[in-house]
Amino acid sequence: MARLMAMAQRGDRTAYATLLRECQSWLTRYFARRIAPHQLDDLVQDTLLSLHRKLASYDPSRPFFPWLAAIARYRWVDHLRKIYRADEVAFGEDHAADNFEPAIAARISLERMFSTLPTPQASAIELVKIRGLSIAEAAQTSGQSESLVKVNIHRGLKKLSAMIEKA
Amino acid sequence: MRRTSPPLATDHLVDELITDLRPVRPLRMQSGLLLAAISLFATTIAALLIFGLRADMAAGSIAPLSLLASGLFLLLGTAASVTIISMGRPQVGNDHGGWKWAAAMTALLPATAIGLTMLNGPHALNHAMPEAGIRCLLQGGELGLITATALTLWLRRGAPTSPNAAGLLVGIAAGSIGIFAYSLHCGISDIYHIGLWHSLTVVTAAAIGRMLVPHLLRW
Repeated sequence: MARLMAMAQRGDRTAYATLLRECQSWLTRYFARRIAPHQLDDLVQDTLLSLHRKLASYDPSRPFFPWLAAIARYRWVDHLRKIYRADEVAFGEDHAADNFEPAIAARISLERMFSTLPTPQASAIELVKIRGLSIAEAAQTSGQSESLVKVNIHRGLKKLSAMIEKA
Repeated sequence: MRRTSPPLATDHLVDELITDLRPVRPLRMQSGLLLAAISLFATTIAALLIFGLRADMAAGSIAPLSLLASGLFLLLGTAASVTIISMGRPQVGNDHGGWKWAAAMTALLPATAIGLTMLNGPHALNHAMPEAGIRCLLQGGELGLITATALTLWLRRGAPTSPNAAGLLVGIAAGSIGIFAYSLHCGISDIYHIGLWHSLTVVTAAAIGRMLVPHLLRW
């Protein structure tokens, strides 16, 4: 992928086509468990657009997937901030584990980032921003007060945005 | 290039992105460091040409406190600049915290000034020389614009995943390098003046950077 990206940076459209198709498929799996299914395409498109606009920010001497994951995480946190309600609750089963080392996959995964949040914050974000429950429903499910759910979402998203490049 | 709606839209978008591809020059660490070095050099030359070299330095001597303080501001400005250059090239696994140590060391200057003021009483603040202090604040800040412009342009080409932190750091880098350059002219070697007014230049620039720069960054 790093080689394809280097070729794309030089303007090679064939290499870029292969790279984008691979990234599209990787991103779909990467986000699958951490976003409502009907929003998945939107998020993948946003991330591909960011990849395109920020092509120059990749240094071909460095590994590719940690760069793509940083862009993807930024887009994901941004997306969570914008969402207030989603309609679907079902989630895919695929993981972001891929055709590169499992250790790297684990380090750049969204799960790893999410797992560093305190449980009440992770739970509030999961219920409201990912599953699409209302604040009242989330409060009832989690046993937190409505205002605490709001505070936990706010604090959790702030913490996530500060951890985008943390492995 | 605008995003369209699913379901077939992603394939369509990919086709558009391929058509839209233009060659780009990757943001390499070396070119970022070179940019920061050129900004520092330009700021120093501008300070010397516009304001002139301080009298004691021109005579071949300098007070140790001034030398120490200038070194700390230069160190902080360099650490913040290097962090910003790294922020433009995101990667999971990056650590952008190194500048905090330089900030902590530099914070000893205002901490000392405040501590001495508490020990010696408010009249000690007269040593801070407010009229000269305001001049340092304004002119150090103006000199910082060179660094601020260069680093903001770098970030606009890059992909900073923490725009707010990047804005804060642009301000810290600009304020630190600006006041470092201005301290080549400012002849006051007093801990109250340096600890309060020179540090205030960095704090003010950091606040302005935090407020303005995130709005200038595009994703």
